[in-house]
Amino acid sequence: MAEPVGVSAPVGAPLVLGIETSCDETGVGIVRGDRLLANVIASSMDEHARYGGVVPEVAARAHLEALTPALDAALARAGIALPEVDAIAVTSGPGLAGALMVGVGAAKALAVALGKPLYAVNHLVGHVGADLLTSSDGDDGETGETGGPLELPAIALLVSGGHTSLLLVRSLTDDVELLGETVDDAAGEAFDKVARLLGLPYPGGPEIDRAAAGGDPAAIAFPRGLTAAKDQERHRYDFSFSGLKTAVARYVEAERDAGRPVPVADVAASFREAVVDVLTAKAIRACADHGIPRLLLGGGVVANARLRELATARATDAGVLLRIPPLALCTDNGAMIAAVAARLIAAGHAPSSLGVGADSTLPVTVVQA
Amino acid sequence: MIELVVPDAAAMEALGARLAPLLRAGDLVQLDGELGAGKTTLTRGLGAALGAREPVTSPTFVLAREHPTASGTPLVHVDAYRLASAAELDDLDLDWDGAIVVVEWGAGKLADADRIEVAIERPAGGDPLAEDAPRHVRVTGVGERWAGLVSLLAP
Repeated sequence: MAEPVGVSAPVGAPLVLGIETSCDETGVGIVRGDRLLANVIASSMDEHARYGGVVPEVAARAHLEALTPALDAALARAGIALPEVDAIAVTSGPGLAGALMVGVGAAKALAVALGKPLYAVNHLVGHVGADLLTSSDGDDGETGETGGPLELPAIALLVSGGHTSLLLVRSLTDDVELLGETVDDAAGEAFDKVARLLGLPYPGGPEIDRAAAGGDPAAIAFPRGLTAAKDQERHRYDFSFSGLKTAVARYVEAERDAGRPVPVADVAASFREAVVDVLTAKAIRACADHGIPRLLLGGGVVANARLRELATARATDAGVLLRIPPLALCTDNGAMIAAVAARLIAAGHAPSSLGVGADSTLPVTVVQA
Repeated sequence: MIELVVPDAAAMEALGARLAPLLRAGDLVQLDGELGAGKTTLTRGLGAALGAREPVTSPTFVLAREHPTASGTPLVHVDAYRLASAAELDDLDLDWDGAIVVVEWGAGKLADADRIEVAIERPAGGDPLAEDAPRHVRVTGVGERWAGLVSLLAP
């Protein structure tokens, strides 16, 4: 009797090892198909704090040091030996060139030494792929049970220190459209810069969050970038946080010049509200415009509780199904890269060439390099 | 030195576009001004005039970003705010000779290289939440390469 079409037995799902080194986190993950077996992340964040942000050369060196221990830890957690893996996956871009090269080099070496196929995966598509991993390995105590992968097409909002992108995902393996992105500062970067203005340390996100506690988000009507009617044709789904940053700077200066103490809690709360207001409004609008009632969040800024709260409220109001992977899968990690590669393999995509290189500006439309 | 009043973001982009035809491989532009002064806005205009691969966004997070351009000479856009010294800037291993390099927050970190210095001042006062204020800009040519900058920039 013929097997039913389109149903793949879990036993046959590929065992994939994924490596992610696009920024300051060294991630090694192992998946079997959509099942998460290990997700090990080593961060070099502390080493960057002195510089007020990520330094590519520092990150690259930290990846070199962290990669082998992270690989060993991931294999131990998954309970497998390296030769058992069916394929090696790696982030080849976008990201910091020097940092990407470490992961790409390591992945090629493993692929050659083990005689396994190599899959070079787009970092941003990886963030969308994080949703596939429906069970966590318990790294952070979260179970991550989400009841199966998100139905496609879906809208994805990816927000981190380096990226602010709104995507329309029709197929994870070969149809991802960039609806919009930031035209100046990324959202996470805006948090870092406003923290700097308020005299708070790096990274700015958690610092602003702490400072905003007890502040009034409606105290100061900071501008919402690219939301004016005149911007809706060219920049309907684009973001701009530079004007907001300038307004905060001018507001803080005006208070100081007037000899008044800067109301830090109100500034932080009002600034944060302006950022999450625009992010969520544009994401929900993209859902409505395209008739797609499914929204996925990803990226490190998802750690911001106010972003999750407002996204949840607005999604509920708009009848949009909202998915937020557990935090250990929202921030950069290797498991999400492995998950996308497992889907590429299942869809019959050929491996990437061993000549593939790091591409710091790889467009999101290129799922596999 | 030339002093200008730049009324808005579009005019700041236009100023960048005016600098573009003067620049060739090995040239350096230093941009100074507080957060929100318009340094990246000027660079965006410069990049567009050079036919640079878009988008030209803030380089703060990545420190330096390279944009291929129509002429083949890349535009390298650097944010030196987080770097402590010329030595750390040197550590970025940029192709100073083969590219047009724009360094934001470059004051005091560029040794004595020939360069165009653009200092942008965002005047204090006014309603911070109202329309953005005009900028005061000073453009200075430093070194032999830019001895004639004033006449080159004359309308």
